[in-house]
Amino acid sequence: MLEAPFDPVKLAVPFFILAIVLEIALGRLHVAKAEYEARDTLASLGMGLLRGIPLLLTAGIAFGAMVWVWEHRIFTIPFTAWWGWVAIFFLEDLVYYAFHRISHERRFWWAAHVNHHSSQHYNLSTALRQTWTGGITGTWALWLPLAFLGFSPAQIAIQQGISLVYQFWIHTEAVGRMPRWFEAVFNTPSHHRVHHARNPRYLDRNYAGILIIWDRMFGTFQAELDEEKPRYGLIRNLGTFNILTVAFHEWIAIARDLASARSLREVGGYLFGPPGWSPDGSRDTSESLRARWAARQAAASTPAE
Amino acid sequence: MLGGLAALARITRPAPPLDEASARTLLADDYPEAQVDRVWLAADGSAALARSGDRALFLFRLGDAWVARDLSWAQAVSAPVRQGRLWLPLPGVSPRLARPALAGWPPETA
Repeated sequence: MLEAPFDPVKLAVPFFILAIVLEIALGRLHVAKAEYEARDTLASLGMGLLRGIPLLLTAGIAFGAMVWVWEHRIFTIPFTAWWGWVAIFFLEDLVYYAFHRISHERRFWWAAHVNHHSSQHYNLSTALRQTWTGGITGTWALWLPLAFLGFSPAQIAIQQGISLVYQFWIHTEAVGRMPRWFEAVFNTPSHHRVHHARNPRYLDRNYAGILIIWDRMFGTFQAELDEEKPRYGLIRNLGTFNILTVAFHEWIAIARDLASARSLREVGGYLFGPPGWSPDGSRDTSESLRARWAARQAAASTPAE
Repeated sequence: MLGGLAALARITRPAPPLDEASARTLLADDYPEAQVDRVWLAADGSAALARSGDRALFLFRLGDAWVARDLSWAQAVSAPVRQGRLWLPLPGVSPRLARPALAGWPPETA
């Protein structure tokens, strides 16, 4: 099957709207924590509503590549087989983990993903602050091995949609912590608050889509700590609600850096180094920020002689 | 509609006008290793400029959140003052011109 018979994301749109209305109402009634700033919300909604336009530029290439790979598959996994859905649930989530990790740890892909982290708020509207430039970075290629294994493009698209819909509800401060067993296995609001935080301790942690087990397995898990409330946004926040700046600022910054590059090594570092990479190490990366934070913590806990 | 609802609900984060203590606390979030020598506050509490050695740290309100920028102290003290406002060009990913009315600015010794 090539085309998905339904799109989970489109089906979920009414739920998205109702959930945001409910979160605002609960915040207004002081029943749950929810902070909304109107212009921040509009920027998030604008990013979500308009994301389909730039995606059209690359959707054909991505779909064509997926179909071509599927036509050269090694197995055929029936669309209706229950075990196929179980398998793709885990495999797609693992691919999502890899996609999300590279989207944070390498600047070329961070440039497409950074907009999702640009809000200083953390509410359900933040979930809709989606990338406009993800298609051109080619991350869709990470899902091609699933087609090569024998999952149909339709099945892959549906599972991607299910993952995106799942990740909507975890963008909230209204939910504290889920039951312990749930927190152990699934990505939750608590885990994802850590992911959106800019506290050095929390940087580049909890890349999970649906299952948090990948972070636990690959050493990128960090629990939310009561003594350290997440501070949301970027290391240096944007200072604007302009969605064009939100969408393209990191690409512009890359272009400026490339214009000043003096060698191929610098070109490679600016493009594919970690965000914040610089030839002389004068800028901050997540790693350097965390290292300095750890040093400060160690110094603070060492008794003065 | 949702944007309007968010505005009507008035559930923004509390962002009271800055005083020196709150400005220092917020700057410490963004610049934890900076030793702040002195802070100048905007009259309406919507911004603050701090000196940290040869750097100037600037804090301004955006909606209900605070945004920090840094530039050289030399740039800050050489920025023009017009009608009581400092015209401060801020670098960064979204450059802008801030125009805070800072109490006690310019400093007597730069």
